[in-house]
Amino acid sequence: MASAQSAPSLFWRLIDGLEALLRRLVPPKRRGVTGWLFLAPALLLVGILAVGLGYIIEYSFHELDIATYRLKDAYSLGNYQTLIERPVYRNVLWRSLLGAALVTAITLFFAFPYAYAMTRTRSAAMRKFLLIALFLPFFIGQVVRAYGWLIILGKQGVINAMLAGLGLGTLDLIYNYGAVIFGLIQYMLPFAVLLLLPALAAIPEDVEMASEGLGANWVSTFRHVVLPMAKPGLIGAGIVVFTLTLTDFAMPEILGGGTTDFVASAIYDSFFQISNAGLGAALSVALVLIGSAFVALFFSIAGSTTLDIGGEKK
Amino acid sequence: MTGSRGKSVFIWTVTWFCVITLSAPTVIIIGASFTAGEIIQFPPDGLSLRWYDALIGQTAFTDALWRTLYVSLVCTAVSIPAGVLAALATVRYRLRFRPAIQVYLLLPFTIPLVVSGIGMMVWFGELRILGALWPVGVGLCVINLPFMIWAVSASASALDPELENAAANCGAGPVMVFFTVTLPAVTPGIITGALLMFILAVNEFLVSLFLTDSRTVTLPVQIYNSIRSVITPDLAAISVVYIVLALAAVWLLDRLVGLEIFLKSR
Repeated sequence: MASAQSAPSLFWRLIDGLEALLRRLVPPKRRGVTGWLFLAPALLLVGILAVGLGYIIEYSFHELDIATYRLKDAYSLGNYQTLIERPVYRNVLWRSLLGAALVTAITLFFAFPYAYAMTRTRSAAMRKFLLIALFLPFFIGQVVRAYGWLIILGKQGVINAMLAGLGLGTLDLIYNYGAVIFGLIQYMLPFAVLLLLPALAAIPEDVEMASEGLGANWVSTFRHVVLPMAKPGLIGAGIVVFTLTLTDFAMPEILGGGTTDFVASAIYDSFFQISNAGLGAALSVALVLIGSAFVALFFSIAGSTTLDIGGEKK
Repeated sequence: MTGSRGKSVFIWTVTWFCVITLSAPTVIIIGASFTAGEIIQFPPDGLSLRWYDALIGQTAFTDALWRTLYVSLVCTAVSIPAGVLAALATVRYRLRFRPAIQVYLLLPFTIPLVVSGIGMMVWFGELRILGALWPVGVGLCVINLPFMIWAVSASASALDPELENAAANCGAGPVMVFFTVTLPAVTPGIITGALLMFILAVNEFLVSLFLTDSRTVTLPVQIYNSIRSVITPDLAAISVVYIVLALAAVWLLDRLVGLEIFLKSR
């Protein structure tokens, strides 16, 4: 019994073993590499994407050989030339960009009052209710939500059933551009509100009261005080909503029913419908470049970095 | 309209409109899943649980559900060590090339999902692991990893480094400090991150579409494929699984860390 008590417990032996192992692997003198060792798994995981992107870039420079239905070995810019020459791709790109711009503007318009109400309401219960109403759809996923809209807006859906019940005709509410835009706005709303919240919470209510105390009405207080102070949040939310919309697949497919393809659908079709991986890869590269160009444009206009993760001590 | 009355009318009208729009699909799906009729129509042909009953017999959906849960567990299990260590590295260590690392670690968010999905599909195909289930989990982990790093680094920046120094000063080695001081301090972040990773993996559709085939199809893809043919109430019943999971996730998140954490100014 006495010997058992003097011997170190299993826990301490384990810890000591690990400490010794660590000293062997990383001598105290070389502790500088610990940070990099910590980063290694994440760097490797994200590396999977980098390699995948590398493959896509490689594919994009090989044209399809119609005879064998494989990509030719020779390098060429033929796929990019096809993208520029065929009006169908220009139309798809234009439709996606216009959609992204519309969805961003409308989503921010709706998200801002929602986030504002949440940060300013005095009632804790109301705040919680608004948070739950936001998080629930956020966690339900795009396919299920789009399916819900199909039930509501479809040919025999809720709205058309009500219209028919009132003796009015039915409306074509799905499989058009408007339905896609509406579905996307509803999908993006939680993202936008969540990104606006910290910015709005950082604005002291006193500043608004001061503005109103000096005789400004709430509209001018919003325009000249609240909106400028919330700019970092608006830009962050705008960029996220814009890029997510530009590259979305499910909403245009489900609510557009193949009539209003966005770029992602065109990429999917290149790979799986016409089996032209080279062309699909070129479209993917174009999408990444155009998306990055717009983000860079936003940042240069706004001149702030709101999206960095971790790090800086606040 | 420019008085304070007008302000609250405007703010709350928009807010309630948003609440209704956000909740409408959820409410309608729950309602439709209890219909007694053959098709979804309004008003429904009475109430019944027959579509839930029918669901249990459809192995296509139940198998897809189990695969989804497996894939999401793989995703969460991979993301915890990778995310925790990466967050500690970016918060605790003075690394060279730090801005470049931050840009690199955000690649999953900056590369469009459709491109990430196809890139992984191509590479996994070359490695001959496409068609297995675990790579789907790894793929879902990669595309959402920044959420995990973000959640943990938020906790890690709140931890005073002097606490770790004090433990070391009292004779604790680096391993001891890590397990008794650092890890407990970032546990709330790990829980938030793990919850997010899991629920987002359960929901992820586009990347799953590229990485699965007819034998490994997961639930979001199965639902999507079924939507295309004909709308039947069994689809509403399986969608209720998602609503229940989402409710559980929101409840857990609120209990464990409090939803109000998202209201904090950074």
